[in-house]
Amino acid sequence: MLHKLLPVLAALTLILSACAGSTSQPDPISSNENGNTLSGKLIVYSGRSEPLIQPVLAAFQAKYPQLEVLLKSGSNSQMANTLLEEKANPQADVFITTEVFTAHALSQEGVFQSYEPVGYQNLPDAYKAGDASWIGLTQRMRVIMYNKDLVSQDELPASMFDLTDPKWKGQIAAAGSTNASMQAQIASMIQLVGQEQTEAWLNGLMDNEVTFFGGHSDVRKAVGAGEFKLGLVNHYYYYLQLAEGSNVGIIYPDQATDEMGIISNATTAAIIKGSRNPNAARAFLDFLVSTEGQKIFAEGNYEYPLLNGVALHPDLEPTDGLRKANIELTQVVNHFDTTFDLIDMANLP
Amino acid sequence: MFRTEGLRSNRWRQTTPIPKIAYLAGWVALLAVIPVIYILIRALAGDPELWQRIIQTRLIKLFSNTLLLVLTVTAGTSLLGVSMAWLTERTDVSGRKIFRWLLALPLAIPPYIGAIVHLALLRPRGGLISQWLEGSNLAFIPLPNPTGFWGAAFVLIIFSYPYVFLLSGAAFRSLNVSYDEAARMLGRTPWQTFWQVTIPSIRPGITAGALLVALDILAEYGTVALLRFETFSSAIFVQLAGRYDRSAASILSGVLILLALVILYGELRIQGRAQFTQIGSHWRPATLIQLGKQQIWGFLALLFTVLVSFIIPVGLLLFWSTQGILDHQTFSGMQIGSRGLVSFIYNSIWSSGSAALLAVLFSIPIAIYVVRYPGKVSRLFSRLSQVGYAIPGVVVALSLVMLVNRFLPFLYATPLVVVMAYVVRYIPQAVRSSESAMRQLSPSLEEASRLLKRNAFQTFIQVTMPLILPGLLAGSALVFLSSLKELPATLLLRPAGFETLAVRVWIWSEEGFYFQAAPAALLLVVISIIPLYFLLRRESIFKQ
Repeated sequence: MLHKLLPVLAALTLILSACAGSTSQPDPISSNENGNTLSGKLIVYSGRSEPLIQPVLAAFQAKYPQLEVLLKSGSNSQMANTLLEEKANPQADVFITTEVFTAHALSQEGVFQSYEPVGYQNLPDAYKAGDASWIGLTQRMRVIMYNKDLVSQDELPASMFDLTDPKWKGQIAAAGSTNASMQAQIASMIQLVGQEQTEAWLNGLMDNEVTFFGGHSDVRKAVGAGEFKLGLVNHYYYYLQLAEGSNVGIIYPDQATDEMGIISNATTAAIIKGSRNPNAARAFLDFLVSTEGQKIFAEGNYEYPLLNGVALHPDLEPTDGLRKANIELTQVVNHFDTTFDLIDMANLP
Repeated sequence: MFRTEGLRSNRWRQTTPIPKIAYLAGWVALLAVIPVIYILIRALAGDPELWQRIIQTRLIKLFSNTLLLVLTVTAGTSLLGVSMAWLTERTDVSGRKIFRWLLALPLAIPPYIGAIVHLALLRPRGGLISQWLEGSNLAFIPLPNPTGFWGAAFVLIIFSYPYVFLLSGAAFRSLNVSYDEAARMLGRTPWQTFWQVTIPSIRPGITAGALLVALDILAEYGTVALLRFETFSSAIFVQLAGRYDRSAASILSGVLILLALVILYGELRIQGRAQFTQIGSHWRPATLIQLGKQQIWGFLALLFTVLVSFIIPVGLLLFWSTQGILDHQTFSGMQIGSRGLVSFIYNSIWSSGSAALLAVLFSIPIAIYVVRYPGKVSRLFSRLSQVGYAIPGVVVALSLVMLVNRFLPFLYATPLVVVMAYVVRYIPQAVRSSESAMRQLSPSLEEASRLLKRNAFQTFIQVTMPLILPGLLAGSALVFLSSLKELPATLLLRPAGFETLAVRVWIWSEEGFYFQAAPAALLLVVISIIPLYFLLRRESIFKQ
């Protein structure tokens, strides 16, 4: 029985792995470096909300129809964990994050390979790795959005710390602990105001019965619909909700001189060490920081493009007048473990 | 079948060498338990300091949350399932034959899709019902909070009761009327008869169904995550998306598996006893209870259940789908990378199909061994192969990621790992179907074939296989149906570009893009109805 069934089983396994293998085989690399003839697969891991990254993927795909662009999205840290797991057996070509800390941490782990895309020198130094292992794409601010039907001008919170005021009990929505922008904000706050105050802030949010959603799209929709008075989001979620016709407003928090300033961050992109289609990966990074690519982020998503000279969305308020928090990238990365400790201790969902 | 003469003479069997089929069965049992053992080892090897921190900060809350949900949903499904079965099997309520079908259909709707609909309807201010109430100046009517414990319990009861409904329906049907008559003659009222005679005799059916529900609830990820009620499964998922360390996730998984193994052990014991609901030759069906004027209430209860658990969710998905397809922007938003809806359907079907095929193939040696060579070892193998029932999808994913990456790196990040996860998780369903098919087959047919000089393999292909084929198909339909709906393992194990309908539904609706999610959800339900229809036709309660 055994030796008669074995060949059948073996054949079956072979057939199955043949079906399966089609995504794992190394792809033939196009020899033409600059033409429109890139082919094979470009595997992109992304921690960003899918609708915010899909337009730029579609535009890149349209440019290189021979190429097959494959996206795997999840939370930033979930994808980062996956990349660390795959270090000896890399699967992805490019990683796109929602904030710089994950990129920096992975770069220290040696997950990326350096590349200076076309126009690299036009990107601000603050948002690129010293060794060019990752580059910043767009900037975003942590803001509070509010529903204008439910909150009047004079009672608006002015600081992140106002969110723990009991008068907002049950009225605030935010993204949960799996969300990278939220993790990054907590890590930044540890650097800016210290661990104790950050912990108190998190406990305050929990005491205030803040509702934590899986992502920010849900937060902005809930605030837009009036389900909540306030929402803790990245600035562009406010604009996306405004564009859907909701009566919402935006608050740039912590602007007084004795306050920490507004927390900003940047989306990043990096090429994975061991990428199987490095030509496509490089072309993709070139595209992301090209005027064309940056325009898609600026116009479709209301993000602040990092490339000099790309116009902001006409509705978007420039950041010039804002007092920005003084965030030290390398320091914050060292606070990552503390961040997850605080999340655990506060029982943040 | 292989040397079945061994069955007849004990003395002969004691000296016989171990049958070859035992080795095959042993391999299958081993494959089924490796992921569990691996996770348990990883959990035990966890840093004691981490264990202590987890015990102090998380464990009590997770334990009580999880147990509370399991108990509530199990009780709720038993109550709802048995009442629905009683109404459609034992009373003369009108439309009961159609209701039998409609009440089983929620099995085609994964609970997380139910949860999406539930949220979309009931969210305070944002939900469709809430907005409608506001629009018609009825905003003073209070709506229940759709999230949290009660929301999750409600959704899980509504979409899990069919398990209990089907099993207790079958038990009601096989009841012998003479017991009821005896009780009535001894002066018991109908009410007393119901509690003292009817319920005890269908109890194995109810309990078996309820314990299966309990295992399902332990494993449920989508619903509790969406409705924000933290259980072990969702906490493990959060850990996987947290710090760069798998230890905490492994520890939580180890505890969860132990909890599930306890329930599975109870289920396996009950399952053995539940098989004794035999129908003797003097069996007569019970006469239907005349509800008289109360009929309308029974009818309304059935109608309400069907509305809430099937018609409203599917109706809403239909409505959204039309909106989504009509709106060009939403429709083009259904593209992910360079892959579209067609590829999601294709991936869903082929991965679930392969899992079904493999699971049934692997289940055959176990079934032959345990049925034709009953004994301690074969029963152990059979039970070990059912351990998958107790491994939630997140845990399967976690252990396969670590195992495959370490020992089979060439398989890593291929859809084959997703298929492996389905097989590990759902092979118990195939084993049960194959075993019960084998049990119904008399060994004399196989013996005759052997006497005609067919070897064991020829006998299996020419005699056994064709006769147990319907049972094997039922098993594969079950595995197909479960794999199609599987969410957490697929979410974690899928390689880039391998998106299934379940994954798309989840990612879109997690972000609140219901119009995009709806067509995929609807397709998932429609595809699920096909194997479900095949399975239900085999159920005794649909035969008349």
